Amino acid sequence: MFLGVDWGAFVVVFLVALVATAVIVTAFAAGIRLFADGALDPVPGGPGASSPAAAAVAPRARPLGATLAGSACFAVGVAAVLAGLWLIVPQFH
Amino acid sequence: MDVLVTVTLVIVVALVFDFTNGFHDTANAMATSVATGALKPKVAVLISAVLNLVGAFLSTEVASTVSNGIIREGDGGVQVTPTMIFAGLVGAVVWNLATWYLGLPSSSSHALFGGLIGAAVIGAGLGSVDFAVVLSKVVLPALISPFVAGVVALVATYVAYRVTRQATLRGSTAGFRHGQTISASLVSLAHGTNDAQKTMGVITLTLVAAGYQGSGTPPQLWVIVACGLAIALGTYLGGWRIMRTVGKRITDVQAPQGFAAETSSAATILISSHLGFALSTTQVTSGSIVGAGLGKRLATVHWGVVGRIASAWVVTLPAAALVGGASAWLASTSTAGLVVVAVLALGGGVAFGVLARRHPVTHETVNDSDEAPAAAQPAGAARGQGE
Repeated sequence: MFLGVDWGAFVVVFLVALVATAVIVTAFAAGIRLFADGALDPVPGGPGASSPAAAAVAPRARPLGATLAGSACFAVGVAAVLAGLWLIVPQFH
Repeated sequence: MDVLVTVTLVIVVALVFDFTNGFHDTANAMATSVATGALKPKVAVLISAVLNLVGAFLSTEVASTVSNGIIREGDGGVQVTPTMIFAGLVGAVVWNLATWYLGLPSSSSHALFGGLIGAAVIGAGLGSVDFAVVLSKVVLPALISPFVAGVVALVATYVAYRVTRQATLRGSTAGFRHGQTISASLVSLAHGTNDAQKTMGVITLTLVAAGYQGSGTPPQLWVIVACGLAIALGTYLGGWRIMRTVGKRITDVQAPQGFAAETSSAATILISSHLGFALSTTQVTSGSIVGAGLGKRLATVHWGVVGRIASAWVVTLPAAALVGGASAWLASTSTAGLVVVAVLALGGGVAFGVLARRHPVTHETVNDSDEAPAAAQPAGAARGQGE
């Protein structure tokens, strides 16, 4: 305690938020990478490249392994959302 | 009769404060989603409004004090009168409208604390404010939380770009937009649970102080409904001015940055409130966006804009305190004084509204990154799809 602030709690928030965010973002980005299977956006970042339809239509069959691993990565994101809801809704704890 | 007038005015101003709170804080959750085109502006504010309303009903446990210990309330301290609460709320509302006019995100909680401090100093002297608590609960967290969220978002942005080869991989932009929508929705829900509750607390404590409600009883249903609707309506009408600053002017947020920033904000806010010291949504999200700007190669962070926002944060507490103090001074003279304050505050609100209309920012122009007309912005995702 210094100046009435529990600095340890700040450090804990920082570290937990950093690790949680890093894990979620890494998993989500890895999921995108695995699902893309090396293919590039036709126009990177352009409006045409970003429609869900463009992402869903695969030009060639994606290896099963990449699909499974990618799904596992997105599952991390789903788990994080559920954890977030658990934290937000007071009735859960 | 006088008590009834005071209590009625407190409730009205509290709901107006709640409205400006939603109005102000739409930007925190939704500015990046609007800026990257993940959500159409009107859809974004609708989602945020619904989630704020839901959040208001989820969390209705009100605090036992209005000021969370900033004012020495209760035994051995001062009695926070409904007039002081009224004056404090007026200070907070006026300051919220001023920063909205300037398009600056600022903490509604700090404005409320400032207003209450000003009212308490005028009503009960300098000794009524516990400045050590002001330092530990308001000033220091406000200094630290943007850096915490900023560093987290910086790392997250770097990772997001690194893993997706600078977001050139197929589906990157679409994927990050979907992810961003979800994390922004979590921020909105968390906001509803925290902020609507504050106004419920203010109204409930006023009803208790006036003898209309038993001490220690939960908020009445109409209070919960009114607070939820006020914050949701404010959110839905959308503080487009602030959204433009947050989404476009700090840095031009792209989808991977938006995802990284919102995820960092959601994680920081949820973890801090779980550990018992909720950080300000405004400060966390603003810090995240600066961090997301720094985490992308060659992205520009407009430090002038960041500086203006930081100055607004420094001024928030004293400015709201000044208005709160002046209001308390006038309102404590008589019921007529109270009504005069209410009329003056209303006039001030109308004045800011009229001023804002001279340079309006709407859901159609929210994505303009400078003062140029919207037609000069081909990438303006909001054009023509707002209605």
